[in-house]
Amino acid sequence: MSRVRSQKAELVIERLGKKLNRQIVGSLVACVHCGMCTDACHYVLANPDDPSYAPAAKADKLRKLFKRHYDWTGRVIPWWVGAKSIFTDEELEDLKDTVFGKCTNCRRCSINCPMGVDFATYNRMTRGLLVSVGIMPEGVAVVSKDQWEIGNQMGVLTEDYLDTLEWMGEEMQEELDDETAIIPIDKEDADIVYTINPREVKYDPRTISDAGKIFHVAGANWTMPSEGWDMTNFGLFSGDDALGGSVAARVYDKLQEIRGKKLVISECGHGYRSTRCEGPNWAGMDIGFEMESSVITMLNFIKEGKIQVDKTRNTTPVTFHDSCNNARSCGLFEEPRELLKLVVTDFTEMYPNRAENYCCTGGGGAMSMSEYTPQRLKSGIVKANQLKDTGAKIVVTSCHNCVDGLNDVIKHYKLGMEVTQLVNLVANALVIPEKKVVPVVEVAEAVVEEAIAEEAVEAEEIKKELVLTGRKILIVDDEPDIRTFFGAVLEDNGAIILEAGDGDQAIEIANSEKPDLITLDLSMPGKDGGKVFEALRSNPETERLKICIITGRPELRKLIYDQELSKPEGYLDKPVDEDTLVLNVRKILELS
Amino acid sequence: MPMFEAGDISVEVDEDGFIQDPDLWNEQLANALALTEGVETMGDEHWKLVKYLRDYYLQFGIAPMVRKLCKETGLPLKRVYELFPSGPAKGACKVAGLPKPTGCV
Repeated sequence: MSRVRSQKAELVIERLGKKLNRQIVGSLVACVHCGMCTDACHYVLANPDDPSYAPAAKADKLRKLFKRHYDWTGRVIPWWVGAKSIFTDEELEDLKDTVFGKCTNCRRCSINCPMGVDFATYNRMTRGLLVSVGIMPEGVAVVSKDQWEIGNQMGVLTEDYLDTLEWMGEEMQEELDDETAIIPIDKEDADIVYTINPREVKYDPRTISDAGKIFHVAGANWTMPSEGWDMTNFGLFSGDDALGGSVAARVYDKLQEIRGKKLVISECGHGYRSTRCEGPNWAGMDIGFEMESSVITMLNFIKEGKIQVDKTRNTTPVTFHDSCNNARSCGLFEEPRELLKLVVTDFTEMYPNRAENYCCTGGGGAMSMSEYTPQRLKSGIVKANQLKDTGAKIVVTSCHNCVDGLNDVIKHYKLGMEVTQLVNLVANALVIPEKKVVPVVEVAEAVVEEAIAEEAVEAEEIKKELVLTGRKILIVDDEPDIRTFFGAVLEDNGAIILEAGDGDQAIEIANSEKPDLITLDLSMPGKDGGKVFEALRSNPETERLKICIITGRPELRKLIYDQELSKPEGYLDKPVDEDTLVLNVRKILELS
Repeated sequence: MPMFEAGDISVEVDEDGFIQDPDLWNEQLANALALTEGVETMGDEHWKLVKYLRDYYLQFGIAPMVRKLCKETGLPLKRVYELFPSGPAKGACKVAGLPKPTGCV
């Protein structure tokens, strides 16, 4: 007698068939129930007497369905391979409690399986099957809806987002005492497009101003997008690849629209994995730009000397917690340690660490599923013991989810530790380039004010005396060192500096900024100096711009002088010393 | 559903300790919830924040952006974190009787 199956159960079985690929089937058939995964799972370690938490047991809930409907062994010897179907919605609800409530998809069992069974991958797939028939925790449903409809997981409206960024820009200006410190929005052709987790903008934007300060002091050409700024992705948690693709595409599309060069992802484990590792597949897009974690960006700033840090500002003992998505799924575990050691004085490793570290308990979207909080906190004993053993006072992590997961564990087990992220520590250690400070002694307020006013007038006068004050100069050279050198010399003399590293960029900036002078290199990859010169001189908009050729290859002179165009205003051979540069620039600006 | 109990207070909360029915909120309950979020005594600034959060929630059905919270109460962001060490999302919202914020928090 055949049992009646619910419509949802029918759909789940049917859709399972469409999800089966080599990786999934390999994982479903390879398990030998050896028990290695059991010791790897923090849920099992916290619940040694409850076999329902064992990864192999959780896996069997889906495996029996696969065997029954899609594997020949289930048709021939169903009793031997445990093949069994699903009939009711209650069974699906039970499956939901397993795949969402008893696993955070942290993949620790996956990397510890001698047979290569990637349980977390098909746990996620099972979540996706359930979501496709509307069975999921309420928190997952609410957030997914916001990501589908409003475009970010916390339903933040664009005007609120922009208002908050402006506010953080003001904070940056105040802290750096520099009114040019702003957060550029939708700036085209930026080297860095910075994307964040909505919780940063909604509840704790200190990470935004901290990152902004670092980018600004590093002199980075950066921007934040007005749309597609949410790099988190509930598609990873819910198993809904369509949502995953839609969210990721929104980020990629915006970057391409503003012609960003590199997507930098703030410290968020699942966002990093979704956007950098999984997103292109979900979205079905070929990505022609770089993507990196802000951890790597900050580390490179220090290595390249773009920012200086003083680690003695962070002396409290710290330890580092690896986010599962960063460490196990994306291999990001050495860089955060390297960076951390540069900005703190007292670092202690926790054990196990790197790819073997335990979950914060908040992975896989668990923070948004209150119904499972008690069992999540119980599983936190594993993390709590790890943390306690370090003796550290601060846990550092590169993941927003982990921040909350760890905070919950710390509160529940009364560990009295703080949680912070690398961006906060780097910002705290950041050496702000010195500015002229007015010495304030114990004087009456009016006198101080007067002194400040006088000082300001003096500063203004000094500025006016500089020979190139207010002159806008575009430096075109493919050598960053040359641009930096010319820029520093001219800026010291009061000029406002624009830079272009290639011909196209040069033409564009010349058109939009109409600089008072352009210094033009001849030998550049892509459009060479000759082509740039031709383009500028043949466009009525730019034909009158003053140009000084500066080249290390005089033989290329013909690129310019063979053209039937009005000659450049100046010509210099490299190497150029400081005085020659300033003298010639002045000559052109003042005499020609 | 679990219950939050303190003295003669007994209110239904979710598994993360957020009250379920905003109508049951009162100052006595707020004081008791504050203790669970590391706030020993609710001062004037605490009340200012909590009342703003609650009014905003009753009007719009969601928690405000922290930007709005700071702008309308005049409290700097740093101060908000001093007042509620567990932050505006988990600490202040819980004391103000809002449901748990959705998403990665």
